[in-house]
Amino acid sequence: MNKNKIVLAAFVAFAFAATISACRDKRSMGLEYARNMYDPLGYNPDQPNKNFKNGQTAQMPPKNTVPVGFEQDEFYPNSKEGYEAAGANMVNPLPADKKNLAEGQHLYKVFCSPCHGDNGDGQGHLVKIEKFTGVPAYHGPDANSSRGGLMQDLTAGKIYHTITYGLNNMGSHASQITPRERWKVVMYVQQLQKIK
Amino acid sequence: MRNISLIFKRAWRSVVMVSAFSAFAVSAVNAQDAAEGRTIFKQKCSACHALDRDMIGPALQKVVPTKKEEFLLKWIKNAPALIASGDPEAVEASKFNPGQDMTPFPTMTDAQIKSVLAYVAEGEKKPAGATTTEAASEEVSGLSIAGIVAIILVSILVLIVLSRAIKALERLILQKQGIAIVEEESVPVSVGIRKLFSNKKFVLFFILCLVITLGSFGWMGMWNTGVHTGYQPAQPIKFSHELHAGTNQIDCQYCHSGAFKSKNASIPSLNVCMNCHKAVQARDNYDGNISPEIQKIYTALGYDPESMTFDKTKEKPVEWVRVHNLPDFAYFNHSQHVVVGEQAIRKEKGLKPEEPVCFACHGPVNTMEEIYQFSPLTMKWCINCHKEAEISGKDNAFYTKVIAAHEKIKKGEKITPALLGGMECAKCHY
Repeated sequence: MNKNKIVLAAFVAFAFAATISACRDKRSMGLEYARNMYDPLGYNPDQPNKNFKNGQTAQMPPKNTVPVGFEQDEFYPNSKEGYEAAGANMVNPLPADKKNLAEGQHLYKVFCSPCHGDNGDGQGHLVKIEKFTGVPAYHGPDANSSRGGLMQDLTAGKIYHTITYGLNNMGSHASQITPRERWKVVMYVQQLQKIK
Repeated sequence: MRNISLIFKRAWRSVVMVSAFSAFAVSAVNAQDAAEGRTIFKQKCSACHALDRDMIGPALQKVVPTKKEEFLLKWIKNAPALIASGDPEAVEASKFNPGQDMTPFPTMTDAQIKSVLAYVAEGEKKPAGATTTEAASEEVSGLSIAGIVAIILVSILVLIVLSRAIKALERLILQKQGIAIVEEESVPVSVGIRKLFSNKKFVLFFILCLVITLGSFGWMGMWNTGVHTGYQPAQPIKFSHELHAGTNQIDCQYCHSGAFKSKNASIPSLNVCMNCHKAVQARDNYDGNISPEIQKIYTALGYDPESMTFDKTKEKPVEWVRVHNLPDFAYFNHSQHVVVGEQAIRKEKGLKPEEPVCFACHGPVNTMEEIYQFSPLTMKWCINCHKEAEISGKDNAFYTKVIAAHEKIKKGEKITPALLGGMECAKCHY
């Protein structure tokens, strides 16, 4: 009966292998070898981290410091006065050339046009499908800014301030668009303001 | 007499007709006003106001009925001027949100304002035939699968019963014909199998089959070790890329803004979600309540949607589960591929111009309700593309620099690693 036992064992092994390979679960990573070579020794930015008070690896830069490669523009607070002051004092530091405008257009398409529309008419895709409403146009005699005046008359500094802090239903885009990029977007928006 | 009653009847009928018609006409005009008002409301008012809840401005259905139309006409046309003039009602109204005066709308006509007010009074009409929710459709598919299984089971049962019946009938016929029934010798199954395995040829065949199946399973298992194609972990928030990137057509870079400028594509922090979800709460799909998935964003931020304030002490970061796990010993840089290699990758993977370059490796993300790993991310997969993709040096700042450096080498000029990008932090520190 030794032979029978071997056959039986082989049969069980086969059934086991079949079940293991059959239930390839999409929620699991499947069979793995040497997992420790995959996991980083250092912390990934989105990993929990016990070394910091709030338990996160991603930390804000310490106060009054600027990371290498990040330009900082003059600071204007998020208030009516800050907005007016930024509008009066801030000047676009970048030259209005083709390259900057093209980059501004690309950034505008990604970050602004879903709501404000490709031409700045306030009719982006999200407005058309009624996910988001109340988006002002950049041009036209009846497009009022909610902080007074016409949208087409907004100065570069005011637009910059709005991108940085957001307004009404628009959120702050400071974490997505760097200061230099913001100026490129401002440059492109000012082109859209001229549309008649 | 008869004539009189007839005339009376006719007259009565026409009166009823006319009044019905005029009532219909009036309601139609009202509906039209409200429809026009809805368009204007969506364009000009909804940035700050909602009908039934306070936003930057107060809930209109609560406030508007308490005010006179005369006041509202003046207020909407130029609120700041009305407040400055010292109108007691206006001063009272300005206290709702002291930091923000209402936008003046001097170009709006009285008729336009009235139609907005008509819309506010009427409210949002619910579309006929409530939209079916996703849960319902999922339930249906679950039910249909259960139904198919049940049908199969029932049919097997029917087959068994039928075959039994046929056997019994055959027996009956044989009995009637007077033929003696030879009872089949019932051999125990175990004895039968034992008999089969004493046959050497069968044993050989059996073992051969076993080796082939086990071998192929083993081979496949080894090939797929550490390959996570199709890996689709459950995420803490049921974020649908199909909805955001598909239906809403939001660019990948809006949320993954790191992809074009750094090694990591970056998972957006919750402030990016709040850029839209401060206002978008999908209340229409949940009987006027905030969508439970959007509520999870608010909970994680300690955000109170009623008072629109953040409570820093209640913050609790969302722990997303990483889908694409590249081994730590392999270096991959998103910006290098998405910016420098974009044209080459597009050509190699045959992407359509309207598709983002991300689709080359991440697959049709705009159709994925739940994100999963589309490509194997194995070394073979990387190498294959690097062997085949065709690089064009035209209009590409990176390759222009490389070509310029090669020209310098040809001329025998001094060339340093810094010239070839050797000063970039991430060349060593990653």
